[in-house]
Amino acid sequence: MRKKDSFGNNEVHGVHTLDRWRVTENKKKREDMSNRIAELKEKSKYIRNLVLDMCCGAGTGHITSSFSCTEILVALFYGGILRFDPRNPGWEGRDRFILSKGQASVILYPILSDLGFFPKDELKRFNQADGKFGVHLQHDVPGVEITSGSLGHGFGVATGLALAAKMNKELHMVVALLGDGECYEGSIWEAAMFASHNRLNNLVAVIDRNHLCATNFTENILELEPMDKKWESFGWKVMRINGHSFQDILDAFYDFRSRKSSEPLAIIADTIKGKSISFMCYNPLWHAVVPKDKQVQDAKNEIRED
Amino acid sequence: MGTITLRDAFWDRVYELAREDRNINIVTADMGAPSLDRFKRYLSSQFVDVGIAEQQAITVAAGLTLGGKKVFAYAIAPFITLRCYEHIRIELAAMNIPVTLVGVGAGFGYDDSGPTHHALEDISALRIFPNLKIHNITDRVMASAFADISCKMGYPNYVRLDRQMLPVVYSANSDFSSGVTALKEGSDVTIIATGNMVHRALEVSEQLKKHSVEAGVIDVYVFPLNEEVFLKAVSRTERLVMLEEHTLPGGLGSAVCETLADHNKNIPVKRLGLDLKTGYCYKYGGRRHIQSLYGLDTKSITNAILQLLK
Repeated sequence: MRKKDSFGNNEVHGVHTLDRWRVTENKKKREDMSNRIAELKEKSKYIRNLVLDMCCGAGTGHITSSFSCTEILVALFYGGILRFDPRNPGWEGRDRFILSKGQASVILYPILSDLGFFPKDELKRFNQADGKFGVHLQHDVPGVEITSGSLGHGFGVATGLALAAKMNKELHMVVALLGDGECYEGSIWEAAMFASHNRLNNLVAVIDRNHLCATNFTENILELEPMDKKWESFGWKVMRINGHSFQDILDAFYDFRSRKSSEPLAIIADTIKGKSISFMCYNPLWHAVVPKDKQVQDAKNEIRED
Repeated sequence: MGTITLRDAFWDRVYELAREDRNINIVTADMGAPSLDRFKRYLSSQFVDVGIAEQQAITVAAGLTLGGKKVFAYAIAPFITLRCYEHIRIELAAMNIPVTLVGVGAGFGYDDSGPTHHALEDISALRIFPNLKIHNITDRVMASAFADISCKMGYPNYVRLDRQMLPVVYSANSDFSSGVTALKEGSDVTIIATGNMVHRALEVSEQLKKHSVEAGVIDVYVFPLNEEVFLKAVSRTERLVMLEEHTLPGGLGSAVCETLADHNKNIPVKRLGLDLKTGYCYKYGGRRHIQSLYGLDTKSITNAILQLLK
């Protein structure tokens, strides 16, 4: 007589028990995931507040450019995607994160200080005489790989880093964050062509598609769409996601170290420039402008309630 | 005359070094050389071609260097410098990433190709960057030596190579660490030259001898100028003539004048090179012919110096 499981079904090699275990585990995983996402959302609010304090204190900084990629950076650094060691910023096994849109340094600095790469006090000295950094990204800040401010530089360097990792048979990944406006630079497409030809599947380009440049919407300046087809035609595997959805970002990265593809991966993340602060969204005039007086409190309230 | 060009002497040495050290890489923007064919064939994993995309050559070279490699980024001189100007400024100078740029075709080297291929402003353009050094190569012995030096130093540099065969003036095992070498002593006038014009300066000094003028020749091959060595070398001279196949603003003559002024040295000087007024060169007929159009042939230079000494 065959053994019955607790549902009264025949148990063949323990399959049904295994199924039940899977159901419970999946439920647990879903719960874990939603808890994780809730944590990441809280972290995003915290980081956005740090950015506001830092920029309003100094009276400068690209807040809107940073808020469009806040979820992307928070997912990369707190969502278990990137490998790094704050106690040893130069650790050779670290993933290389290249912030090619260097104007968004004001989002990276608070994250790095929060993770322990350098003391948080440094954020108060942003753009001050005794401070270490200003508006654009500097390679000498712990946790930062390159100097960036002029666009169309970092991504090419990322392709070189990815090729070096291949040559050295190193397993770390290279992740570059590009602005969509940065894709007007011809050097981006020189690098894109180079990466696919050299099968740099250890390279991921995340494009912060916030649809705005410094003065106007991208599609009014020069059409960038169809963005996905452009990257595809340059030999990249392309995904298009909601750049403010942690679920989307985590899903896009879940197998990024073990993809069965020789193509580099482009993740086009549709975002909103100035996300979380309604009066800063969809308005080119907020580029590189910081809120003043009552606007600061309004902005903080909106971040809290977002 | 040497039996091989400066370019091949340089790449031959890089090949020897790269055989021993797999971290040495060449990034080329669709450029070849007889010596490079061998590199490409036998050390293919250390040879990266980015296509006709010089900016990408610089960024890839910078990334590879950050990834632990020693990289030579190679293209025609005006392309690897002026085309990529801001990449050099940020990736190499501002971040101090020790990439070696290699440009071939110094001055009117591409004499058959017109102004797009002439490298006449690159020294002025690059010597203003902090951290970066320019090595303007005089002969194949020096070319070979700077392949070694480039691998060992911890800062970015630009190796500027002539395209054509040039005579050998240095003996093997010469010391190039000072960046300034007095090739000939002379009490009446000292000609300071760089690159291909060093050979012209030696010819001119022979001609001047016929007019009983003793002319010294100093080769400057590293920019920024090694001021200490340079000032010592010119301390006993009455008059200086600077000779370059390069635009006068910002070039060798300009660098010498800056140094003399900064150190309160009141020595009469004359700069011979390319005046901006002459504009870009759309003339052909060989390098010597082109040089003669700009007063950079032996006869014109000799006459200019004799005029000066009157």
